[in-house]
Amino acid sequence: MSTGLRAIAGFAIGLGTALALGQVDSASRSVLKGAAVEYMYPEQLTVTAGKATDVALHFRVAPGLHVNSHTPKDEFLIPTTFSIPDGLGVQLAAVTYPVGKDFTLPADPGNKLSVYTDEFVIQARVVATAGNHLIEAKLHFQACDKSICLPPKTIPVAIDVIGK
Amino acid sequence: MKRNTLVLTLVLFIFATFAWAGWANFEYRKQTAERLLAQAARGELVVDAAGMPEYVSPLKGKPAPAFELEDLDGKKVSLADYKGKAVLVNFWATWCAPCKIETPWLVELRNQYAAQGFEILGVSTEGDGVGKDDKAAWDKDKVAIAHSAQQMHMQYPVLIDGDSIADQYGGLDELPMSFFLDRKGTVVAVQMGLTSKANIEGDIKKALGN
Repeated sequence: MSTGLRAIAGFAIGLGTALALGQVDSASRSVLKGAAVEYMYPEQLTVTAGKATDVALHFRVAPGLHVNSHTPKDEFLIPTTFSIPDGLGVQLAAVTYPVGKDFTLPADPGNKLSVYTDEFVIQARVVATAGNHLIEAKLHFQACDKSICLPPKTIPVAIDVIGK
Repeated sequence: MKRNTLVLTLVLFIFATFAWAGWANFEYRKQTAERLLAQAARGELVVDAAGMPEYVSPLKGKPAPAFELEDLDGKKVSLADYKGKAVLVNFWATWCAPCKIETPWLVELRNQYAAQGFEILGVSTEGDGVGKDDKAAWDKDKVAIAHSAQQMHMQYPVLIDGDSIADQYGGLDELPMSFFLDRKGTVVAVQMGLTSKANIEGDIKKALGN
């Protein structure tokens, strides 16, 4: 290969890599607003491999906000749901959601909503294979306060599941 | 022969790398431009002289960003079609409970002021990232929007895919969001969140020049 060709190839590869890195860096610095819901704990869970284990997952809703419960009273409202993607070595066998609290908007006192506020706990039954699984489960919800609503959102729920 | 193949492969690889680098650069610039656009149009809540929170939008006093969206029948509707009328561009969503409270007020006010040259464009902004390329999800959204609009007796034009113009209108991170335009298409007032029928009526009058 000639020196000229080598130089072109080197430049092209270098340029491509630099641009790709620039893009990743830019994405990671994208504007993040405060989370409406935050996962609290547990961060780690030790289970017997192959055996169903119950775990209580604790979440916190930002002050002043509420999210719909898993069973909202209006067909158009988005329910709070928890899921674990397939193929992570941890299977979600069952989920039990807390009962929502009744909530009324001041401008519509006759209409009751079913919501979670402050802290809420989702009971999940998981079955893990042997090994250490750092999973990223998902919580999907839609939050509002008394006068505004935020778009639906899915947050990661990171748990280190150790199957023994 | 072997050397020629190697050189040709290398040249093709270099061209492919350049093409990819160009595409990556274009995407990066596009995302940056969109982010800057949204930031430039994003309003903020400030406390007014009376100590009350007030939403201040940089779009106030400026021409409303132009758009063309489809209505529920698939017909293209452009904001420019309404030049000469006072228009309330109301961003809402099927899952937005405060939007459902204000919609009956909007219906009443539209009926009350239509004769003076007032119209409402109800722009559905589902915020779920569903685009036309995902036909099943798009159709599902459309059915839900139509059902919701029918249930709330929205007799004014209901447009879909407000998410595609969210950046021009400040990101639309909170709903409902209302932009009141005068007959020349200038934004004369902006309301974020559920306010009151009287507040909305006041801004409609401002848009009409009453």
